[in-house]
Amino acid sequence: MLGFGDYVRKAREALVETDLRFSLRQVAQRIDVEPAYLSKVERGLVPPPSEATIVRLAAELGEDADVLLAMAGKVSSDLQAIILRRPKQFAELIRQLKNAPNHAILKVVREVRDGNW
Amino acid sequence: MITLEHDSLVFRFPEVHEHAKTEVNFQRTLRIPDNGKHYPLPPGLGSFSLKHLEDYADRIPANWRERGGVMMPLYQAEAMWLAFCGRHSRDAYPFALKIAAGKINAVSGKAWNTGLAASERDYVVVPEQPWLDGFCVAKDVVRQFVAMPLGSGYSVEEQITGKPEHGGLQIIACPMKKERYEEIARRRAQERQRAGSRRAYMCDATVGAPMRARAPAAQAMGLAAGGRMKQQIYADPYGIDAWEQTASSRCFVTLVDAVQWREITGEPPAARPPTAADYSNAGLPWFDYYAEAETLAGAPALTMVKSVAELAAEKGEQVLGPDGDVEPGNVVQIGAGTRGKPRPVSESRL
Repeated sequence: MLGFGDYVRKAREALVETDLRFSLRQVAQRIDVEPAYLSKVERGLVPPPSEATIVRLAAELGEDADVLLAMAGKVSSDLQAIILRRPKQFAELIRQLKNAPNHAILKVVREVRDGNW
Repeated sequence: MITLEHDSLVFRFPEVHEHAKTEVNFQRTLRIPDNGKHYPLPPGLGSFSLKHLEDYADRIPANWRERGGVMMPLYQAEAMWLAFCGRHSRDAYPFALKIAAGKINAVSGKAWNTGLAASERDYVVVPEQPWLDGFCVAKDVVRQFVAMPLGSGYSVEEQITGKPEHGGLQIIACPMKKERYEEIARRRAQERQRAGSRRAYMCDATVGAPMRARAPAAQAMGLAAGGRMKQQIYADPYGIDAWEQTASSRCFVTLVDAVQWREITGEPPAARPPTAADYSNAGLPWFDYYAEAETLAGAPALTMVKSVAELAAEKGEQVLGPDGDVEPGNVVQIGAGTRGKPRPVSESRL
């Protein structure tokens, strides 16, 4: 499995093949970091950036922020807040679903109810 | 199955394919003037807040509860557009989407039905269709979606059916068949084409709404026809047999008068968006999207619909604020095959 830096670099390089706005310099500018720093992140020379920067980077690259955060070893602060409100229940839920296939996990999520219309 | 995630409706069909997923998001925007001109695409100014109706069951009318679905707040005469596919449109799974306002199909002008028929041409295909800003009234022209109180006579539903019965928006999503998708995915892996992602565009939409008298109990809104906009509605490039019609999910989106949103949800609605004139005078960009593809002609039923401005003039009512003279001086080219910027949209997570 790719590390965070490698994943980000490959995602960005795939985009720059068809759109020059995804050069390292331009992406760095748009997510408000120095190009040299982003280069180091991509090469794994520094730890992954902050949650806020990762969220901006995910949006730029069209990637899922939760996935990118997980690759950086982080959990978004909103998820943390949710878990901390009911830690016992969510811990139990997550442990029970640890080995469940994707479709089984999706069954647990809250669906939008369709009524009579 | 449909879930509500970050103010977007997410449609998933894991029983069809693990990648069968699409999103519909509702974007705040400028109301374009209704003065006969054809305007380019306005920007997205942030997602409308979406809530599960059942979470506020004790504060909404019984007929709303019965419909289920979600609700969102709009001010009277506020405009909106629908964004499709979400942030991951690069290799998006194709879907056929039907969109109706007050159970009048926004593409064909016909009464809502859930099936897909090649002859009807009453659905859009995503990701090829990145958004929908209004009712398809002519080839490559839509009349902007503008919210008006249901029962006021302005909505397209009331003009076509004569009755203010449903309001809101209705959406049904039908995924592509697994085998057809896998064929396309193999080709895409070679072409590596990007469908254009959305980027946050920070526009300070903090124009304050004027105070209004306390509104009566929950006012449903419908969608009326606003100004004219240049927008292509693309024909289905895959054919009717591409769609897995045994699998579809539908959702009713109730539109609530924003003035009552706090009473229902306890949360304040967003401030009104800027006027098109203020936005243009600030030099901020509009957008022109073009793709080489067959586009649909206007729906006969929708070409006959009167706009909000036309009806207001007939009724002698003042329901729209002054539009001002708007000349979009800064129009950015976007779209497939160009090196232009994507149409900005604010995403709630940013």
